[in-house]
Amino acid sequence: MPRYQATLLIELKDGILDPQGRAVEGVLKGLGHPVEEVRVGKVLEVVFQAENHLQAEEKAKAMGKLLTNPVMEVFALEALKELP
Amino acid sequence: MRWAIVRFPGSNCDEDARFAFAKVGLRAEYVWHTETSLKGFDGVFLPGGFSYGDYLRPGALAAKSPVMAEVARFAREGRPVIGVCNGFQVLTEAGLLPGALLANLNLHFTCKAVGVRVERTDLPFTRLYGKGQVLRLPIAHAEGRYYADPETLERLEGEGQVVFRYAPLHGEADYNPNGSLHDIAGITNEKGNVLGMMPHPERAVEEVLGGTDGLPLFLGLVQEVAR
Repeated sequence: MPRYQATLLIELKDGILDPQGRAVEGVLKGLGHPVEEVRVGKVLEVVFQAENHLQAEEKAKAMGKLLTNPVMEVFALEALKELP
Repeated sequence: MRWAIVRFPGSNCDEDARFAFAKVGLRAEYVWHTETSLKGFDGVFLPGGFSYGDYLRPGALAAKSPVMAEVARFAREGRPVIGVCNGFQVLTEAGLLPGALLANLNLHFTCKAVGVRVERTDLPFTRLYGKGQVLRLPIAHAEGRYYADPETLERLEGEGQVVFRYAPLHGEADYNPNGSLHDIAGITNEKGNVLGMMPHPERAVEEVLGGTDGLPLFLGLVQEVAR
């Protein structure tokens, strides 16, 4: 079965205060970077097997949903590629 | 009445909990998180700690443990379920309580005694407290900022599901230690049988350890049997 690598991006929802992002933002600003806003999220790279690209996409989205807390987070399937 | 104290890899308030249960004469036994049955138990306690090292999100991986199906059954059947600190995080991650617990606003792990006001006294957990009574309880967490969307908050307030709220101990203005919305320190479900709270009542059952304001919570559970 083909192997796929999915890149899942998990972020806090818009409107939820992200103190970690604020701290990073403060440091960047302090170093003179003209930063407007920073928000910190998580990137998960998942390698798994699937029959085809379509099934791989379904599986990746199901895993993203499982690993996200919908109260405070949203996820996006950033990339999906077949591995050699 | 027999209580199960669920141990996840990384739980660290399990022994404190058993000590508190023993102090009021309740039987409590440790149950490993891979167990699939809580047969023979009447209540379940999810202790504080750092289950799975807080990986992914605090409580997120523990919420998917095999034992959690049984905890969900207890919640459904109206049996008492208590989650303290990481246990509260597990209950929200498992969807057994609404909302979520985010990083403290100041990003610090905060370990100190705080004021906690009792908002409801008609629950098994709070029946021995006075309404409006301010308890002195320890907190020890980095992710305790209660968050829920405006509709959920409104519902919680409307249904009286907020059980504990941070309050000044000595008139201080900055009494909310983590930025929790509505100063929420503990909530219950609609039925009132599932309690989640960030402060540690099990660490406040001995005068020598800083106070006994947590003791009535456990004593109230003893009366649950007699009822």
